[in-house]
Amino acid sequence: MNDELFMNERVDVVAKFSSGLNPLEPVKFRRASGREITVKEIGLRHPTMQGKRMVHVFDVTDGAADYRLELDSERLVWHLTREGDRWV
Amino acid sequence: MNDKYNTATPLVMHIDLNSCFATVEQQARVRLRGKPVVVVNRRTDMTMIVTASYEAKAMGVKLGMRLRDAKLLCPELVGVESDPAKYKYVYHKLLDIMNDYSAHVTMKSIDEGVIDFGEAPVAIVERGLENIGREIKQRLRDEIGIAMRCNVGIATNRFLAKMAASLHKPDGLDIITDENLREVYSTLKLQDLTGIAGRNEHRLNAIGIMTPLQFLDASPQVLHDMVFQSINGDYWHQRLRGWEVDDVETTVKRVGRQYVLDSFTLSFDEILQRLHHLCESVGWRMRKQGLSARGIYVGTRTFNMEGDKRRNYWHASYVSMSPFFSDGTIYSLARHLFVNAPPNIRDINIHVYLLQETEETQVSLFADQIARERSVVDAIDELNDRYGEHTIHSADTTKTSPFVKTKIPFGSTRYL
Repeated sequence: MNDELFMNERVDVVAKFSSGLNPLEPVKFRRASGREITVKEIGLRHPTMQGKRMVHVFDVTDGAADYRLELDSERLVWHLTREGDRWV
Repeated sequence: MNDKYNTATPLVMHIDLNSCFATVEQQARVRLRGKPVVVVNRRTDMTMIVTASYEAKAMGVKLGMRLRDAKLLCPELVGVESDPAKYKYVYHKLLDIMNDYSAHVTMKSIDEGVIDFGEAPVAIVERGLENIGREIKQRLRDEIGIAMRCNVGIATNRFLAKMAASLHKPDGLDIITDENLREVYSTLKLQDLTGIAGRNEHRLNAIGIMTPLQFLDASPQVLHDMVFQSINGDYWHQRLRGWEVDDVETTVKRVGRQYVLDSFTLSFDEILQRLHHLCESVGWRMRKQGLSARGIYVGTRTFNMEGDKRRNYWHASYVSMSPFFSDGTIYSLARHLFVNAPPNIRDINIHVYLLQETEETQVSLFADQIARERSVVDAIDELNDRYGEHTIHSADTTKTSPFVKTKIPFGSTRYL
């Protein structure tokens, strides 16, 4: 089974706002440990509703692993909630 | 009854996201692309495979196989737990794209839909359905992601359009007309036809129909009187020739849920808690559609019945004189039936039926009591709408949420 880590880690994110089909793109993020991860590709962005609150979920990769970033659109905070698909 | 093939311009388009959930996972999780991936409902070895990627299918992995068995065939297989929110998003994106071309769009399930161009604007139809099909494929890649692929089938009716969409997986675009109809049938087997599975194939074989071409050439009398022994024979005669018989609106006849127990060593009280959770979920879904029910059905499959497969299913049902709608009433009725269930329960199946619009409910002698119950239920539903499903619930189901999750709604798209 593919090892996956599930967490709810507050992260700092540099994101780009632009026009077009993907108006918001996370560019890189810094984890609580201080490690910086540069986003190489955004796989999918999808919204989920937590009650009436919308959370935007970004599945991204840095080329070495896949990450799941969540932006709470009400509180405007980012969380890293999953890390996985890391093969040697 | 039309004996000839339908020679009209094909104006029905079927769009099918094959291996949908696995493809969406590969789109989202970039490092899974090109790898054999399966989507499962739980990350355990005994779980059944819901969807397999094309890479996994190429290694012999099939739907319904246990993950443990699939890993024997394909050791590098990656099992991914299903994420319905993602699939729901892709479903809505696909629906938005399809709605751009015609007002007559029907989603057949979470991963396939039909566009009827029969009443679409002339300007759109004049562009040609083949061009529109290619444009939809491109839009899927642009608007969702580059890993997204779909099959497009174009024909004069829904049946042939779906068949056309299955001819060249995973990224095909095929058109079936009266001119290539026989040629297409000649390349298929009976079970390749939608709606022909084991039992119908046996019926056809019994009178010597072994291929789709023989099926096509059979007279309506033979199909009606000897094969299907009903009007279904006439429908098949028309369907195979490209005439539309499947453009029918379906109504909700029942609302239900099925759940395979997370452990087979649960006490009866713990099983009842899961039943209670399912009742709350069924009640919520029913009320979302403005319905009340009069009938309730509870069933279960059991295990370790010493090989006697005939006795491994138990069910009970009850029809009430007056309609019910609250979670409490549903659970109370279900529990009353369920206490008679045999031991060694493997899964729970519950649904409510004899549905009616809530406004149609006849005035009862207990109108005050019902009105009070309705107020409480409405208030709870409003809170759950605002803060998320299962925010307010019975204390009995406090511990069941991690186990009884909503999984992929395969058949109906009513709850998406």
